[in-house]
Amino acid sequence: MELSDYLTRDRVIILKSDTKPAVIDELIDVLTSCLEGVTRGQLAESINKREDLMSTGIGLGIAVPHVRLEGLSHAFVAVGISREGIPDYESIDGEPAHIIVLIVAPQGRHELYIKLLATVVGLLKKSSLRSRITEAETSFEIYTALINGNA
Amino acid sequence: MVVIGLAIFFGTVGGRIFERLRIPQVVGNIFIGLLLGQSVLGLISRETIQNLEPFNYFALSVIGFLIGGELHRDVFRKHGRRFITILLAEGLGAFIVVGLFVGWTTWMITGDLAIAIALGSVLGAISSATAPAATVNVLWEYKAGGPLTTTVFAIVAMDDALALILFSFAAGAATILTGQGTGGIMASLGRVGWELAGGVILGIATGFLLNLVLRRAKDRDSSLAFIIGALALVTGIGKMIEVDTILASMALGFTIVNLAPRRSDKAFKIVEEFAPPIFVLFFVSVGAQLDIGGMVRWMWILAFVYVIARTVGKFIGANIGSKLGKAAPSVSKYLGLCLFSQAGVAVGLSISASHRFSGDFGTAIIMIVALTTFIAQVIGPPSVKYAVKKAGEVGMRITEEDLIESYRVADMVNKTTKSFLPDTPLETVLGEIAETDELAYPVVDDTGKLLGVVSLNELRRSFMSRELSKFLVVYDMMESPSASVTEETPLAEAVSLMKKLEVEFLPVVTAQYGDKLVGMVEQREIRQAISREIMRRHQVAEGESADMA
Repeated sequence: MELSDYLTRDRVIILKSDTKPAVIDELIDVLTSCLEGVTRGQLAESINKREDLMSTGIGLGIAVPHVRLEGLSHAFVAVGISREGIPDYESIDGEPAHIIVLIVAPQGRHELYIKLLATVVGLLKKSSLRSRITEAETSFEIYTALINGNA
Repeated sequence: MVVIGLAIFFGTVGGRIFERLRIPQVVGNIFIGLLLGQSVLGLISRETIQNLEPFNYFALSVIGFLIGGELHRDVFRKHGRRFITILLAEGLGAFIVVGLFVGWTTWMITGDLAIAIALGSVLGAISSATAPAATVNVLWEYKAGGPLTTTVFAIVAMDDALALILFSFAAGAATILTGQGTGGIMASLGRVGWELAGGVILGIATGFLLNLVLRRAKDRDSSLAFIIGALALVTGIGKMIEVDTILASMALGFTIVNLAPRRSDKAFKIVEEFAPPIFVLFFVSVGAQLDIGGMVRWMWILAFVYVIARTVGKFIGANIGSKLGKAAPSVSKYLGLCLFSQAGVAVGLSISASHRFSGDFGTAIIMIVALTTFIAQVIGPPSVKYAVKKAGEVGMRITEEDLIESYRVADMVNKTTKSFLPDTPLETVLGEIAETDELAYPVVDDTGKLLGVVSLNELRRSFMSRELSKFLVVYDMMESPSASVTEETPLAEAVSLMKKLEVEFLPVVTAQYGDKLVGMVEQREIRQAISREIMRRHQVAEGESADMA
């Protein structure tokens, strides 16, 4: 699985906001253009519903909000970086989240969904990649780091 | 000719109607004959019936021929000594009891001992026959299997032959006793001996000839022509040289089937296909001959005695035979109840008797047999049903489809399956299902409402990365249910739904209170449960009947 099939340059951003809801809104904005058949509101609602069950802040400064949506035909990934961190993300380890990766997949593509999650988590496990990302100056640098993460 | 056409047409219609009412077609044919004949409409005149006499002889020959064809050596080998013992006991049981009581009653009424013995033995012989069709139909309908069923199949296949042989002897004796033979007693005995022996010889001889001819016959049509020819020949020559033509045709069938089993198999099939209109016409003419108005009181009494005596005789005979043959207890207890049905062969023999014996004697036999056939056909099938039910053999030969048809989802639902809330961490789930063997688990909210299903297949994907199970929850893995069923849903419907959707399982929810979870059904579990049940039933059926053989 190649992350580049789902993550494009313009879907990597440096976050402006510092609260969880605002951050998620920013990431949704990134994806709005490619959401055929699904409204912004629907996407936001299902992300929040999922976060209500259990926060996707998995520790080490990483968060992976993820949803499956009826009506989508492709999977998309959006990445937001916050150097200061998002303190209210409710991560498992209580630390602020710095790297937020939003994964959106079609309802029926369960395997792809899990693979994307596994790929993202697998990449971010590497502390070298994490520091390269958090120290990057531009979104392009972050994008390149992520895409070549396995190299 | 018009009358014959009408008779066949309406006779067939009548047969079909009676078949709908679960009464054998024969009874319907006779009933139509009764309507068309002297009793009611008078469309079929006495003259027509007279003209049909040669045809009736031929029809009887066809019956004899088909019965003889049943007596293949394999039948004896397959059914073994035990069945022969039971067969002889139930047949002779009916013969003796009916003979004694009908004879005694006749003696009381007429005061003529000779007539009494004659009527008793002829009716006794006729009473030993059991109609296979109605009996076997019940066994099929209830998918019966087991020692009792096996025995009934064997007995009804063979006891017509016994009846035929008994009848030949009884009719011979009756001829002497009723003084319808001419000359002294020795001359009469000689004639009866010739009737029987000559009939057998004629049948066997024709059988050998027919076998030679059939070997050269290329196609169906010429085979049929040769067989019909041989039967007509046996009937005609038999009448000419005064031998028993039914016995002769039975010997013909017996010879053919044992000389060339495979070739004759086809031959008998051809005759069976060709026979229906013959039988319809035959039985319609039987009905037409009946004159209900002419039925005097003593005939009614004899019919009544006949039914009781036949029932008792069959019952006791079957019981003794089963014990002598060391059959299973259920056989000795219930076999008698399965042998009440009486139809074609009995009626046929009564016609044969009426041709032999003129006057009241002949009429009485037809009347009594026709009336009692009617009664036997009404009580016969239900009593077979009762017997196989009591013997616990109903549904023992059931197929998987039948069994699935008989269940509802409620019978197969697994209510103890673990269910999960959507926010249960995957790690917890994996720990909890380690000890279970379901293929899928329902996901419910805290009110018990079904939200979705998480299958083992999906869960397996999470093994891709160990980290996933730490932060994923059931919600991430769950699929919305493709469909759901209720406990009231017929199992067959649930199974075909699963096949259509290509899923292995379906959640079961309550019908009334929204989608509250009840449990899960799995195709795999259904298959296993069904096979277990089939195995169990077949073991009951086979186990004991294997012991029987």
